[in-house]
Amino acid sequence: MKKPDLKVVLLGDMNVGKTSLLHRYMERRFQETVSTVGGAFYLKQWGPYNISIWDTAGRERFHGLGSMYCRAASAVILTYDVSSMQSLLELEDRFLTLTDTVSDDCVYAVVGNKVDLTDVAGDEDSATALGTPTKIRRQVQLEDALAFYKKIIKTKMLDETSVPPAEKLCFETSAKTGYNVDTLFEGVFSMVVPLIKKQDGQEDTVNLEQSNSHKETKKGCC
Amino acid sequence: MSVQAFRLLCASGRQHLPTGIQIECLECSGHDLYLGTSDGFIYHLLLVEEHNSDPTGLSLTHQGDCPNTTFSTTPQRQKQLGLKKAVRELRAASAMSRLLVLCDNTIFLLSSESLEPVPGAKIRGALSFTLNENPVNGDPFSVEVCLISSKRRTVQIFSVGQEKVQLLKEVATPEQPCALAADGHYLCLALSNHYITMNYNTGHCQDLFPYPSEQKTPIVKRISRQEFLLAGPGGLGMFATVAGISQRAPVRWSENVIGAAVSFPYVLALDEEFIMVHSMLDQQQKQTLAFKEGIILQDFEGRVIAATGNGVYVLLPLPLEKQIQDLLSSQRVEEALILAKGARQNIPKEKFQVMYRRILQQAGFIQFAQLQFLEAKELFRTSHLDIRELISLYPLLLPSSSSFIRMHPPLHEYADLNQLTRGDQEKVTKCKNFLMSYLSEIRSTEVANGHQEDVDTALLKLYAESDHESLLDLLVSDNACDLVDSVSWLERHKKYFALGLLYHYNKQDAAALEVWVRIANGDLEDNTRPDLYEYVVDFLTFCRDPQLVWQYADWVLQKSEQVGVQIFTKRSSDVQLHNSFNPDKIIDHLSKYHKALIMYLEHLVLGKRIQKEKYHTHLAVLYVEEVLHLKSMNTSEQTEETGLRTRLQNLLRQSNLYRVLLLIDKIKGTDLHLERALLHGKLEEHDQALNILVHVVKDCSAAESYCVWNSQGRDTPYRQRLFQLLLSSYLSPPCTDNALLVAAVDLLNNHPTEFDAANILHVLPENWSVQLMAPFLAGAMREHIHALRMTQLAVGLAKAENFIYKQQKLSMKGKPVVLSDKKLCHVCRNPFQEPVFVRLLSGHIVHTHCATNMHVNSSLSDNLPNTSKRT
Ligand SMILES: Nc1nc2c(ncn2[C@@H]2O[C@H](COP(=O)(O)OP(=O)(O)OP(=O)(O)O)[C@@H](O)[C@H]2O)c(=O)[nH]1
Ligand SMILES: [Mg+2]
Repeated sequence: MKKPDLKVVLLGDMNVGKTSLLHRYMERRFQETVSTVGGAFYLKQWGPYNISIWDTAGRERFHGLGSMYCRAASAVILTYDVSSMQSLLELEDRFLTLTDTVSDDCVYAVVGNKVDLTDVAGDEDSATALGTPTKIRRQVQLEDALAFYKKIIKTKMLDETSVPPAEKLCFETSAKTGYNVDTLFEGVFSMVVPLIKKQDGQEDTVNLEQSNSHKETKKGCC
Repeated sequence: MSVQAFRLLCASGRQHLPTGIQIECLECSGHDLYLGTSDGFIYHLLLVEEHNSDPTGLSLTHQGDCPNTTFSTTPQRQKQLGLKKAVRELRAASAMSRLLVLCDNTIFLLSSESLEPVPGAKIRGALSFTLNENPVNGDPFSVEVCLISSKRRTVQIFSVGQEKVQLLKEVATPEQPCALAADGHYLCLALSNHYITMNYNTGHCQDLFPYPSEQKTPIVKRISRQEFLLAGPGGLGMFATVAGISQRAPVRWSENVIGAAVSFPYVLALDEEFIMVHSMLDQQQKQTLAFKEGIILQDFEGRVIAATGNGVYVLLPLPLEKQIQDLLSSQRVEEALILAKGARQNIPKEKFQVMYRRILQQAGFIQFAQLQFLEAKELFRTSHLDIRELISLYPLLLPSSSSFIRMHPPLHEYADLNQLTRGDQEKVTKCKNFLMSYLSEIRSTEVANGHQEDVDTALLKLYAESDHESLLDLLVSDNACDLVDSVSWLERHKKYFALGLLYHYNKQDAAALEVWVRIANGDLEDNTRPDLYEYVVDFLTFCRDPQLVWQYADWVLQKSEQVGVQIFTKRSSDVQLHNSFNPDKIIDHLSKYHKALIMYLEHLVLGKRIQKEKYHTHLAVLYVEEVLHLKSMNTSEQTEETGLRTRLQNLLRQSNLYRVLLLIDKIKGTDLHLERALLHGKLEEHDQALNILVHVVKDCSAAESYCVWNSQGRDTPYRQRLFQLLLSSYLSPPCTDNALLVAAVDLLNNHPTEFDAANILHVLPENWSVQLMAPFLAGAMREHIHALRMTQLAVGLAKAENFIYKQQKLSMKGKPVVLSDKKLCHVCRNPFQEPVFVRLLSGHIVHTHCATNMHVNSSLSDNLPNTSKRT
């Protein structure tokens, strides 16, 4: 098995669509899912790098596994459902604490999924006027996510000037339509890949095969 | 869906144990099986594995798949430790012939043969222990025992040798542990409600995750270097490394797992009713074996053993290859490939590569049979499939000369494409299209290496059959099509033009031409090229075989003289073929074909500018004959005749080689007057020529242009003589024809400068008025004066130039130049180091190098340096 160069973890309450997002990104389609048991992971070849993406289970009973999945993660994608304020609050209450084990320069992304379900952002009146019955009211605005992102930075005591701005790491997506899904993952990857070199030095086990390939990639980018 | 990965075989029933006595724990090392019982006994049994060969001999299964393997046990010694307490754990240290037994919170060290305790070697106060399978200290004559001490929250590390035990380390744990596993410096511990890893050297702990309290026994199992398998919440089998990271997704067990074992690439778990088999590669459950009342599931040196209270069972893994084949035969390509890839570490490299290649190829054919061509292609490509395996599926595509035999055992079950598609023509076509594009893609790559002939022949057949335009491209480029096979195939599919190309490529131009000529003659039907005749002409033009060219020369000329003659005219001259195609021979051959002959001679005379009298004369004569012939036909078709005459006249004008008298003779008595005039002109008989033009042809402008072109490149007197002759011709014999008089006047007035006016005035009739001739006179006068002035001007200029030179000469003959230390160079202002300098026209002296620079830099001509060497 190829050893991944870095790890990205998806966190969020059950039913917000973590599995669907990953599925959309990896398999390019949207499919009915079952609630994830434990966790699952995918390996994504991203340029010369192998990125492992962990899909965690949002259900309460698997909550205890979260810290382990997050250990040494280079990026955490905190996912909520735009039609549920509760799902955003859960992120703060329940999931943020799981990220104490992540790597030092971990990148946080906040993602509001299922935008396809809701009316157009900030244009509630017209949407109601149109009376589309399938659309439901959006409960979380992008501003809420931005505020949450800033809160993360604060609670993690990260240097606000050195982390990427909130606008670059708050996304609204739809796994169903595919809207913004690639932007999300590729945006996150492009931010974490530069961290790989730093991690090299910290590794305490020596993997010959891997250290070789690292040398190669270093050569490649000069 | 399931795979059969293991078979459950009973090794020992209850026969060895007294009734009511339960197996508590077991250990297996090689053939030695040890059972620990609830009443404190240790039984040593020999585990015997037997492979009964299939008596019927009908079994087709591969080697290594042992459907008839059985296990049995034969009892050896037994021993009671005299405690009547249950034996909790048993571990063999086979290198030291020792058995470690946990009973009554004490670890005893027994001889593994006699089962007698080693005196003095025991560890007291142990609740549970494990052997570190990856000890940091690699001493082969001791083992590292890690144990949970009966002291609260303590683990201890012992080194156990053959005769003695030694405490290495005692470490406090955050909470009371209840299960442990060890690897290197690390322990993995189950605490009261969660798992941790701990570095026993540093005491550093790392939380893993909580486990639910309803779990009866937490499971902590080392599965590989630095990796553990743990029973997690929700019936999950979780993987964790010593660093507290999960590298594999969890497997889903049931809620109450009693024991777990690993047999790569599978993890097995035991609950009250089943043994579940999951793959570590894709986390899927692969097999479920019913197993009731199980209490133990463990792996010992790679062998998985399960036990109930009184029976011992071996889980015999089926060979991976067999499992993969099973998956493939149920079309589960993806799983088969994952399993094959995962087996890489467990199979020697060479063997693996061969096996894996074969699996990829089989997988490729499965995908192919499902018309998943993209996937199939990728699999064929990566597995370096001998492309003929694929071609051979298609009936008749491989050349009959091919020595190919399909691989044995076969990569797939299909006899041919018809069987594979069950005769569905649409599918057949799809398959053919796929092969076509695949072959054309790979034919120039290394994939086709060595099988070029088979590949190209197959491709040719597919193209021919499907009327594909690339057939021709294939044949005109480098190819290795088998000739015999391809010929009959192309004939069968009536691709005659292509057949010709094939012959040509195989250096059989005669055969090629024969086919093409038959098509052109309508004997064979093939509409590939409507312009086949032109194609053949072109082909012959570039054909380097003179015999063939001559053989088909008549054929092409008979079809069209104009086009056919190209085989000679457009042929590039080649020294080697010079003899075969010498002009005389060709001319001789073309005697039957007038038009062709004219074109050929034109090619020689006008095109190649061959300066030979006979060609020029021959061409001129032919022109004349053809013109006369056309005239005699008296057709209304004038254009051809005029065209021909123009060509004749051009030749007569431009060439100086032909035999003039012969031609004059030839056209005697005909009305080719203009030509006659030209001929006389050639003989410098300009008066005759002009007379013909003026009096017979009566074409004044022709006569005038005659004068113009005949005097081209000659001096003025010659030209003037011609014009004067023309004038005389107009005026003589003392003529009455007014038109000629007018022409004469016009001639004079329009070309006053072409005449020597002084001479002319005598010739003119007396009665011509000055007024009539005013333009001429004025023009002649003007010309005269102009000439005079021009001459005077030239004289003046020449004199002036002469003066300039004289003046320069004088100024150069000046005084001597004295060079002293005080003299400086006019340009650089430095003294002179050597007695060499340049004196400028201005009188200044400068260094030679300064002068050169100055010369380069300046364009002033009066500063031209004048080198002199004087001291
Ligand atoms: N309309 C809509 N539905 C979505 C979207 N993403 C997911 N869903 C649906 O939401 C439900 C839950 O999706 P999952 O991807 O299983 O959610 P999850 O976050 O993985 O849930 P857990 O695995 O239990 O943590 C499914 O029924 C999906 O079909 C989306 O973008 N739009
Ligand atoms: Mg999920």
